[in-house]
Amino acid sequence: MFWRMVKGAFLRQKGKMLMIAFTIALGASLAAAMLNVMLDVGDKVNQELKTYGANINVLPKGASLLDDLYGVGEGSGVSDQYLKESELGNMKTIFWAHNIVDFTPYLNAKVKLAAQDSEVKLVGTWFSHHLDLPTGESLDTGMESMKSWWDVSGQWLADQDENSAMVGSLVAGRNNIQVGDTITLESGERTKKLTVKGIFNAGSDEDEQIYVPLPTAQELADRAGLVSSVEVSALTTPDNELARRAAQNPNSLSIKEQETWYCTAYVSSICYQIEEVITDAVAKPIRQVAESEGAILEKTQLLMLLITILSLVGSALGISNLVTASVMERSREIGLLKAVGARNSPITWLVLTEILITAVVGGVVGYFAGLGFAQIIGHSVFGSAIDIKPMVIPLVAVLVALVTLAGSIPSIRLLLSLRPAEVLHGR
Amino acid sequence: MKRQTMYFRMITSSLIRRRSRMLVALLAVAIGATILSGLVTIYYDIPRQMGEEFRSYGANLIFVPGGGDSALNADEVKKATGFIPAEDIVGIAPYRYETVKINEQPFMAAGTDLNEVKKTSPYWFVSGQWPAGSGSVLIGQEVVERIRLSPGDTFTLSGTDIGGKSFSHDFTVSGIVQTGGTEEAFIFMPLSDLEGLMGNSGVLDVVECSISATQQVLNDIAGQVGENVDDVTPRLVKRVTQSEGTVLTKLQALVYLVTVVVLLLTMICVATTMMAVVAERRREIGLKKALGAANKSIIKEFLGEGLLLGGLGGLLGVALGFAFAQTVSINVFARSISFQPLLIPATLIVSVAITGLACLLPVRSATDVDPAIVLRGE
Repeated sequence: MFWRMVKGAFLRQKGKMLMIAFTIALGASLAAAMLNVMLDVGDKVNQELKTYGANINVLPKGASLLDDLYGVGEGSGVSDQYLKESELGNMKTIFWAHNIVDFTPYLNAKVKLAAQDSEVKLVGTWFSHHLDLPTGESLDTGMESMKSWWDVSGQWLADQDENSAMVGSLVAGRNNIQVGDTITLESGERTKKLTVKGIFNAGSDEDEQIYVPLPTAQELADRAGLVSSVEVSALTTPDNELARRAAQNPNSLSIKEQETWYCTAYVSSICYQIEEVITDAVAKPIRQVAESEGAILEKTQLLMLLITILSLVGSALGISNLVTASVMERSREIGLLKAVGARNSPITWLVLTEILITAVVGGVVGYFAGLGFAQIIGHSVFGSAIDIKPMVIPLVAVLVALVTLAGSIPSIRLLLSLRPAEVLHGR
Repeated sequence: MKRQTMYFRMITSSLIRRRSRMLVALLAVAIGATILSGLVTIYYDIPRQMGEEFRSYGANLIFVPGGGDSALNADEVKKATGFIPAEDIVGIAPYRYETVKINEQPFMAAGTDLNEVKKTSPYWFVSGQWPAGSGSVLIGQEVVERIRLSPGDTFTLSGTDIGGKSFSHDFTVSGIVQTGGTEEAFIFMPLSDLEGLMGNSGVLDVVECSISATQQVLNDIAGQVGENVDDVTPRLVKRVTQSEGTVLTKLQALVYLVTVVVLLLTMICVATTMMAVVAERRREIGLKKALGAANKSIIKEFLGEGLLLGGLGGLLGVALGFAFAQTVSINVFARSISFQPLLIPATLIVSVAITGLACLLPVRSATDVDPAIVLRGE
């Protein structure tokens, strides 16, 4: 009898029930979309912030200051310190290998432009390098993806263009070099003729340099298989107190703290792990990028969290409002039930069951619609799919249940307290 | 005149008599309007607020010596900074570099305005204190690795000044700076100290400006400076300006889409609630029709009620929405949000239009029905 009454109610009031289900679906889809986007926004913005370039610089031990301090890169009295090119692939074998987005090695050398007296800094690098890793995976990395702000006239080099070069705008301007020209570089007795394929404007010191593929620079500088520094772009977690203490001295932590630190993607723990896999290397966070990333990431996440809360509160109030309105509207029906002798609790159960069934239907439909909304946002803003987090499902379910109950119970109680005769009479 | 009074009396008394239902409707409209005005306020303020956060990446415009000069003239720099709108300046730090010696080992000393550096380079990590006045310096991490110094230590700085005379002066280390970049190889001291040592003033090597503005505005500033000040070459720090543009556009697009989705859903929610509230009055409509009311006047009455509700809810929403946006802004950015006066009429119009529309639909269908059927019940 109970179920027949429920069924009857649904059949009789199809339109109204549909409207409630629709509103609940809207609210649930809003909740599902916002929660999914909010939970994933950190990763997405982190990816976007990679346009600022590397946040970790890997240098050989002891060689870090000579060049910057005195402008002496090589020559007498300078002990040459280099990293081995063959070890670079190890970087993708560390604990946080997955968080290392890109890395690019650099080999610096001083060369002379033929027919000019001035020395120019030559940098050998990977432009877009295909790397087969010891783990059997492969990786495409290089400078082209790490220096997205470079303004290149002509074109980017490919790694096979060993007889070509990219010239910084200041060097090019001073020496009247155009795209397509041939330049001759001298280093000691070695000379090499290169075609200029591109002239770039980087808006920094790099404009004073000439970039060539790594093998070309190794040959000119006579440093086969060596690189002088590596820039790494990694996804990191914003620093906290633990990370700051660890950055000062990893040995000052207790074993448990050290474990937590090692297994969290702090920039300092990634640096530490890079030092573990590359011989005689010092990995340093570039604070300008690492620190700012953290700040912006935190702000964005907090902003999204607050917007999510607002929209959840909004949709919750909206739904319970509608549920209240639709229950109130059934005063006559409830009055009639009471008049023919129904007690309060069966009436309450009847109305609640109807509303909850509607809510479940609406919630399920809404959840999937919400996934759709989240993907629309992900694709149109970040150009990639939003990760679907299973933990959103219970959250949405609890929210919908709470909201419908909160909307219906007070109004049912109110209606039950009325006298059937008055209600049926119409006030 | 009488007719109008009657009309208003009907609307107001209907609102007052059915207090609880109307409260439900009013609440729905107010929630919708709150979300509308709150989210739109945040959306408009995001570029400004986030832009200021992005200043933590440091200087986005630098002045370097122009033409054949090897140094900047302080007066020319003052002229150049005059082209930057004062309210957009986050910090302007001048730098002068000179070679000095500690224990006969050469180091680079940078004279600067350390209070401004704090603003232009907020990412510097200083262990110890920032120098409070003259006589104390910040030293880079790499300098520390070569000569063991810790905060509080005193050391002697020697060198030759501009006239070729040698000097030596004692300084106290107030802090050690870590940046992960070239700054770690420098010794930072107040500009006046370095000028005192070198024996001349008014000469600078580079000026770093951190300006809260878009790339377009920065380009304009750079253009103006380049044209009007001869000895100063302005250069945009492309890595910072370009990347800021990219990321900021994405963030804004994100908030935009979220706003649109949330608004759409909330508006539909408001409309369905209004429909439910109105649909329940089919009997009333039937009674009015039975008494001889024309469809037009019934629609007019309901519309009037809807508009009144929409207006009230909208007003409430404007106030609540601003309060909400302000809370978000203070919590997230620790700054207050700018008020958009245009939002008041916009919110009002949208909420009135939506409630009006949501009232009209069910009233329409109710007026089409024969009053006798409605009155008898379904």
